[in-house]
Amino acid sequence: MNQRLASVLADVFELRPDQVVPDLTKDNVGSWDSLKQMDLVLSLEREYGITLEFSDIIKMNSVANIIEVLTSKGVGLGT
Amino acid sequence: MELEGSVALITGGAKGLGLAIATYLHERGAKVVVADLDAEALAALPENMDGRVLDVTRLDDAKAAVKEIIDRHGRIDVLVNNAGVIYSEPMVNIMNPSGMMHDYSRFRKSVTVNLDSVFIMSSAVVEQMVMRRTKGVIVNISSISACGNEGQTAYSAAKAGVNAMTVTWSKELGMMGIRCNAVSPGFIDTISTRNALKDSIVKHIVSNTPLRRLGRAEEVAQAVASVINNDFMNGVVLNINGGLSL
Repeated sequence: MNQRLASVLADVFELRPDQVVPDLTKDNVGSWDSLKQMDLVLSLEREYGITLEFSDIIKMNSVANIIEVLTSKGVGLGT
Repeated sequence: MELEGSVALITGGAKGLGLAIATYLHERGAKVVVADLDAEALAALPENMDGRVLDVTRLDDAKAAVKEIIDRHGRIDVLVNNAGVIYSEPMVNIMNPSGMMHDYSRFRKSVTVNLDSVFIMSSAVVEQMVMRRTKGVIVNISSISACGNEGQTAYSAAKAGVNAMTVTWSKELGMMGIRCNAVSPGFIDTISTRNALKDSIVKHIVSNTPLRRLGRAEEVAQAVASVINNDFMNGVVLNINGGLSL
């Protein structure tokens, strides 16, 4: 996974680096609640200088979907 | 947040303290929208204030009103939750043996008007702020009764709840750029205070207040403007009571 994104996810969800894997979802990360979701949104906006719409926010319920949203915003996520 | 050009929704703003707040913000350049149950009082508002009849205890009505306001003004920057009704009833009234204890339905009604309404209006406005990703300020009008006033079980409980929601929301919504504060007036020289309290009680309050007077409605409005203006003020319950609570 892209290290920059992995670092954001680790910070937001308080995970060790080795715990940040591509198949993380809202259902398998215990700390991923609605407050963390807003924390995630603001962290991603800050990190990548983007603005996420409400429709993006509700879509971002897994790493796969986060990557899809970021890519749609023109964020390059090569490893 | 600058008051000039901001869109401020004030509940219960057609008379009394609410009108003083609405007028103060309006004079400083805010676009003021007043929501109130009292259609007659709304009709007497200055022409350039937008008044609308609303029962703030009804969620669906609140949501519809918020949507209409945003359609008309583009956004809501400030919500002042002022609507409420002072209610006094002792927990035990030994002079009324057939109905000695505080009536439960009146307790519920007071809590609905003074606490649920704050939840309902804030919910309706914050939903729009979050969906539109706009920042904003919520100002809850609390009361010195939140500390516990004898003879005001329901009103005191409701206002203590308002304070608790204020702090909770300041923590929860702060990261989204939505600040939440409360202004907690003591005894203010308004018609409703004079109607609610005997002269002897007013004299007692004044003599126990370090500043030896009742507050003025404009002083509460000033405090509301301050918490709107100060972008680093969040989670504060600002006492405006002349030092009575010290």
